Amino acid sequence: MAEIKTKNFLASSQMAIKDPQLRQALEKVGTGFDGARREAIEEISEAKWEEWRLKAREIKEHTIENLDYYLDMLYTNVTKAGGHVHFARDDNEANAIVSKLVEANNIQIATKSKSMVSEELGLNGVLESLGVDVYETDLGEYIIQLAGETPSHLVAPALHKTKGQVASLFQDKLGIPYNEDIEAMAKTAREILRDKFLNADLGISGANFLVAETGSLVIITNEGNGRLCTSAPRIHIGITGMEKVIPSLEDLATFLRLLPRSATGQRLTSYVSIVTGPRRVTDEDGPEQFHLIIVDNGRSKMLADPKLREALYCIRCGACLNICPVYQKVGGHAYGWVYPGPIGSIVTPNLTVLQNAKDLPFASSLCGACREACPIKINIPRMLLNLREELVQPNSNANSTSKFSEDIAAKSYTKLMKHPGILKLGTMILTGLQKPFLKGGVISSVPIPPLSIWTRSRDLPKLPDKTFHQIWKDSLKDNQDNNG
Amino acid sequence: MKNLGTPKDIFLESIRDCLGKNEGQPVIQRGNLSQSTWELQQLSEDLRLSLNKDIDGLTTKLSATAEARGWNVHHPVNMEGILDVISEITKKWGSTDITRTDQEVFYEYSIDSGLSNLGCKITTIARTDLQEDRIRLREDIISSGIGITGADYAVAETGSVVILPRKGLSRLVSVVPPVHIALVRKQDILRSLDDVFLLRRLDYHLGNDMGSYLNFITGPSRTADIEQTIVIGVHGPKEVHMLLLD
Amino acid sequence: MVNPKGITASLYVTCIVDQLYPQVGVSVVNVLRKLGVHVEFPVDQSCCGQPLFNSGYVSQARELALRVIESFKDSEYIVVPSGSCAAMFREFYPGLFESDPKLHKLAQDFSKKVYEFSEFLVEVLNVNQVKSSSDGLHTFHTSCHMLRELGVKNQPLSLLEGVQGIQTVDLPHRDVCCGFGGTFSVKYPHISEAMLSDKVDNVLSTSCDILVSCDMSCLMNIGGALTRNKSEIKVKHLAEILDEESS
Repeated sequence: MAEIKTKNFLASSQMAIKDPQLRQALEKVGTGFDGARREAIEEISEAKWEEWRLKAREIKEHTIENLDYYLDMLYTNVTKAGGHVHFARDDNEANAIVSKLVEANNIQIATKSKSMVSEELGLNGVLESLGVDVYETDLGEYIIQLAGETPSHLVAPALHKTKGQVASLFQDKLGIPYNEDIEAMAKTAREILRDKFLNADLGISGANFLVAETGSLVIITNEGNGRLCTSAPRIHIGITGMEKVIPSLEDLATFLRLLPRSATGQRLTSYVSIVTGPRRVTDEDGPEQFHLIIVDNGRSKMLADPKLREALYCIRCGACLNICPVYQKVGGHAYGWVYPGPIGSIVTPNLTVLQNAKDLPFASSLCGACREACPIKINIPRMLLNLREELVQPNSNANSTSKFSEDIAAKSYTKLMKHPGILKLGTMILTGLQKPFLKGGVISSVPIPPLSIWTRSRDLPKLPDKTFHQIWKDSLKDNQDNNG
Repeated sequence: MKNLGTPKDIFLESIRDCLGKNEGQPVIQRGNLSQSTWELQQLSEDLRLSLNKDIDGLTTKLSATAEARGWNVHHPVNMEGILDVISEITKKWGSTDITRTDQEVFYEYSIDSGLSNLGCKITTIARTDLQEDRIRLREDIISSGIGITGADYAVAETGSVVILPRKGLSRLVSVVPPVHIALVRKQDILRSLDDVFLLRRLDYHLGNDMGSYLNFITGPSRTADIEQTIVIGVHGPKEVHMLLLD
Repeated sequence: MVNPKGITASLYVTCIVDQLYPQVGVSVVNVLRKLGVHVEFPVDQSCCGQPLFNSGYVSQARELALRVIESFKDSEYIVVPSGSCAAMFREFYPGLFESDPKLHKLAQDFSKKVYEFSEFLVEVLNVNQVKSSSDGLHTFHTSCHMLRELGVKNQPLSLLEGVQGIQTVDLPHRDVCCGFGGTFSVKYPHISEAMLSDKVDNVLSTSCDILVSCDMSCLMNIGGALTRNKSEIKVKHLAEILDEESS
């Protein structure tokens, strides 16, 4: 399993906000991918977009409710096409399956096209420990592999890096002169990786979709690395989460319309590859073996909870990240694990340990922009609320002094609000107490948290002489209908 | 304890537990999976009829979407025109090493002798069972500057060329060389992604093999992985040409 | 103005208006009366429970919800000068009582009577123009819950545009969160402040005199940063604008 740093959210997000290079890298998130997404939707009309979203959601709902049935169908049809399907309940099982295949087939070099599930499993480390040379081939993944980092975005893994940082990295690790021309850097990656593709024994890919009816694995890419990984080596292993299955090829059409537009604003990616089994005897090339590893690794927890089940509808387009004002400020690494952003704040606590990721469901202003951008209409804010509830329940293990004081605060608040008499008294006392803090008609500093935190960067309004309740009683009530 | 059996059985049983279902509980079929082969045949016939009526309209639409996706679209009227286009490309790239697939379109438009006359070296993908031949073929593709393929379909909605794997078709010809030229016959233009999948499903339902690799190509290779800046030509071709043939 | 429909509306004033911005409540009452609505104010109303609900304290939120529902049991329409509190009532109250059919029905009936202030004017009273006037250049901030939970988008804008002789300017990124988010603002102040700073920059870029919204919580947040930055820009609830009349 990839290292889990979700406990550090507060510190990491504070550091992220202070990091000028990260600021610069993140600046384009809202305008770049998200701007392109909006344009693409405008082009086909809001109404059409809505129609596709509803269709996609209906397909996902149906498939997830019948997941056992469609995985069984997928298994049958992959097998019929000459492929092998493996089921892995957790990271250990998945890594063991890959290890066994590596050893049985004497694998020396592996090329990978982007797979978030392999990040979950920490697969690269496992392969390296077996003596396999592993090369990430997606440009963004290649960059972060060189840097020894993890992806910070679902679609653009190296989004947190400026071109200057990538140029320095290439200079350090590849021994080439510093050159921050983006085209030149892409060319460097092409030249270095070309050999690896053609000499690799094993190609590893993720899957954007699995088609049950035909037993197909679908990958959606732009660079061409996915095509090379799944075509050139003698063995292809596809690794993906169990939620990726859809019933038929016709359903795929809907997702092909939604995914690229949501991710990068593209009408379609440069490549869509539909892999069904290994190379046939009549084919000129292609892998001799095709293995599909279907991974649970904690997804069952979301499947079993009707309130969280729709998190499994996610197609990993990244639209919720791009639009999220929190993600735009802190970037992906602050979230501490493989899946960042709004959907990550639901998926990560469920695939790792909720109690250690308790900051994530709270790290949202609940503005709802994510749900609006989601092509599957996943109700992310609602699920964040559900996780918050789970975290503060009395039997929750999220015990800490801060939780203890929050519990007390919640109870007192409830009591206070249920008894307006006490509230009124409190208001009167506070109105008197505010006097020393008043400056120019506002309160600009209060020494008691949480007000002291608030007044770090904003003033508080002065408490008025009368509450609305008092004004109503004193003068407003009796004027009823006098204006008529 | 129930004896659950294979990893697959255990896995599926766990999913049923999560969903609160029993094994063998009936599934309410969604519309398209319960379609019969006969229905798919009817739909395909209707589709063919409507497509044939609108070849000009589809050609115009495809040209527009393909251009927008980064294809260079050409409308050669005859053999000479095709050779002119290819010849321009070889001059531009200073490359005369060409690899082409062995697809039906090259029997209708036999470009080999014309290209030889232009001084090009042409490697044709021809099936061989000998391992060394296959290795040599791969090396030829790698050293080629231009890959030429036909297309099983083109999709007007998306500006895509669709290629199905088969004898005589290497997966690498359209991805490894820096330039890809696709010869598209106008009668193979489909309206939408739905059309492609309907035809593929029908074929599958008729008992034919789905094929190991169905590839949609929509413009050149590209990336936006550094600062969301688009760069054309990463691991795949930098330049792609679509020749629309009558 | 007469009240042809004989409409009576009950005001849910919200905690923040009651305690910090009572003049907004007064304006709501004035505007409604100007339109011929009979206004009632159930005095034993309490907090809607959203701060608790959003913090995960659902059972405590339920207690407050029951109290609010009880306070407004005889109301025909409930008017709320906050998209956020109205969203709590309409979108979240029924869900609080899913396990109890009787209470669930009660919460559903309650939620159907709830309208955000501008929504009530446009959708119930069919009013698009309120006789009023306001000097200066105005811009409008869309609050998140009003837009994305209630789906109230154009109503406040059309009311604002309807003010006699009003000057308005579009706020760039109008529908992006101001960073308040209730306890979010003190739990993750660094993120909240960074979001707020963008919002303030956008407001300043309009060179407006008055920032208008339908949620005083957003306005307390943005306004607090504006005064801290020595800006002269005033923040006002839409009701205050509609309540102004040139003499």
